[in-house]
Amino acid sequence: MEPSRAVRSCTVWCPDWPVVAWRQGRDELRDVPVAVLGRGIVRAASAEARAEQVTVGLRRREAEARCPGLVLLDTDARAEARVFEAVARAVEELTPRLELEEPGRLTFPTRGPSRYFGGDDPLIARVREQVHAVGVADVRIGIADGRFPARLAARRNVVVPPGGSTAFCAPWPVGSLRIPDLTDLLIRLGLRTLGAFAALPGPAVLARFGEEGARAHRWAQGLDDRPVVLAVPPPDLVETAELDPPADRVDIVAFAGKGLADRLLARLDARGLACSRVVIEAETEHGEHLVRRWRHEGALTPAALAERVRWQLDGWLTSEGHLSGGLTLLRLAPDEIVPATGRQLGFWGGDQAAADQAERALARVQGMLGPDSVVVVVPQGGRTPTERVRWVSWGEPREPSRDVGARWPGAIPGPAPARVFDPPYPAELLDGHGRPVTVSARGEAGAEPVTLRCPALPAGGGRIEASVGPWPHVLRWWDRATRRRCASWQVIVGGVACLVTLEGGVALLTAVYD
Amino acid sequence: MVALDLPPALVPQFPRRDGPARAGLADTGRAAQPLVLARDRVLAVPGGLGALLPVAGVQRGTVVAIDGALGSGATSITLELAAAATRVGEWAVVVDPDGTLGGLAAGEAGIALDRFAVVRGVPPARWATVVAALLDGVTVVATAIPRSVRPSDARRLVARARERSAVLVAVGAWPVEAALRIHADGVSWSRPVDGPALLGARAFRVSVSGRGVATRAPVEVLARVG
Repeated sequence: MEPSRAVRSCTVWCPDWPVVAWRQGRDELRDVPVAVLGRGIVRAASAEARAEQVTVGLRRREAEARCPGLVLLDTDARAEARVFEAVARAVEELTPRLELEEPGRLTFPTRGPSRYFGGDDPLIARVREQVHAVGVADVRIGIADGRFPARLAARRNVVVPPGGSTAFCAPWPVGSLRIPDLTDLLIRLGLRTLGAFAALPGPAVLARFGEEGARAHRWAQGLDDRPVVLAVPPPDLVETAELDPPADRVDIVAFAGKGLADRLLARLDARGLACSRVVIEAETEHGEHLVRRWRHEGALTPAALAERVRWQLDGWLTSEGHLSGGLTLLRLAPDEIVPATGRQLGFWGGDQAAADQAERALARVQGMLGPDSVVVVVPQGGRTPTERVRWVSWGEPREPSRDVGARWPGAIPGPAPARVFDPPYPAELLDGHGRPVTVSARGEAGAEPVTLRCPALPAGGGRIEASVGPWPHVLRWWDRATRRRCASWQVIVGGVACLVTLEGGVALLTAVYD
Repeated sequence: MVALDLPPALVPQFPRRDGPARAGLADTGRAAQPLVLARDRVLAVPGGLGALLPVAGVQRGTVVAIDGALGSGATSITLELAAAATRVGEWAVVVDPDGTLGGLAAGEAGIALDRFAVVRGVPPARWATVVAALLDGVTVVATAIPRSVRPSDARRLVARARERSAVLVAVGAWPVEAALRIHADGVSWSRPVDGPALLGARAFRVSVSGRGVATRAPVEVLARVG
């Protein structure tokens, strides 16, 4: 198979994009060490945090130990996509054919724009000017033959001369492929640089490492992925959804988009094809037409495609002053179609037929009642029963916001209550003299609770048989606006064990151990 | 090669290392066999609750009605029945119109959270359609019964459950017949031995009636500790 001629591309990369996205509009986070966590691991750190040795890949506790004043924030993929939409629009003024790879990185072919602006360096200067005008100070731009070398070039802010991509990629470590399993294997085999990996014969790599290894091998040689099968997709592979009435809420359109994504990939799958680039188009009720291309390494899975559709809709619908109305049409078209390499289904264990049937039933209920009606439980870290569970809509990625494994001192002990009321029921917690129980600022109870009255309990409550507490909590202590102070008791009333919370002088029945 | 006839005490016993592999093979064989015996139509419920039920489980295709006041343990019993389904690799869904189910308690009851979902915000008019759709695909559907349920809808759901070999767990006032009726009478808590905590081991008081069960006075069932 002859290697395709790599397209000369330019990659625009904004390092530590999650931090930049969080800092937009939040002045109190500027000049402060900030780290953004995903699944309990640091994904991005600000320059001040990196000066204190907080790097990507650390666990939360280690990061806190290295930098005591560190502000830790959770990943907000939607804000990242939304803020990056402004950068994408700025670069789009220079070239219409740009592709987004993930929030923080975009690529475009440079043949046309380079000729128009009179060379690679003037092009880079113009792009930098555009991105600075949007308010993003740190942007790295690299140009090379092929997308993967362009990505590496962006990290160093260089222009690789035509034909020099292979030599440029050779000294980089194999870790820059960003495929952890393959990288570990290559290091153990003694291949530490991309040059050493590229020197292996292609058929041997395909036989030993499979399709993914062969693709990484092409990247290491400075080439693009395999040539595409179809340059123009046949019209019946384009999926369209009409939204009536025009929708301007992201979750409604994202739900329609998810259906389109599933249908599109099923159609492609049936023909033995997969796509690595998808064009997301939308039309508003006033006739505006919006287009964006998203790219993914390898083939897009249904979850990845639905996620990108959601990011793009976030970017379009929630940025101010861009759209004049709701969306009436959403269209997905596959752009770079490649032969599908198939998936190996599990043979032992896991009843796939039962899972498929259940998934169909749940998707049908979601269709009847709306996307938020079917939720799954994602346990996460926290102190109260409400904090320790995250309800995620069916189909969304199941990521906890807070690390489960971390220790949470002051957490309410005992079994988890089977009924948790959100919003909680108002109640009255009285002491021996019939006055409401109070909690001091230091978390000490003014008096022992003796009576609990609440309309939700059988017989309206009554005399407390046993109680233990109070457990004081201060929720979100770092945010003056949303700081809340509360104290919880576990009480047994009439044989029923329940959890009572006192917040701002008001007693609330939060949970019942049913 | 001479065959040695050693007395049993002297035959060397080597520890088997293929126990889990053999168990996995047996599971796969069971899952793949075409003939379904009568005893395989039972969803086994482990623990003290299963010991109270006839056939130590729930017959697939039937309805289990659970009732009890708030705080009497009805929700925990419902979660244990849902756990019985996820334990064998099948799916369970709880229809919770009020949105008050505690997710962490579901995990602690032994439910595999990747085969569990909760449906919230069901308007009473569409409740029967939603439960029917769920019975099509899921093994155990546990649902709170709305006050305005019609007996004809309930009978249609019974027929649907029988047709799909699913188990419908009805929490609340079930107007038509149910194969099994479980009444939750209350929970007694005992303090754990260490620490100042209040809630340690709990014992549910439960009475079971229905097909194949003689009605008895409430029986203590010891549940999870801590």
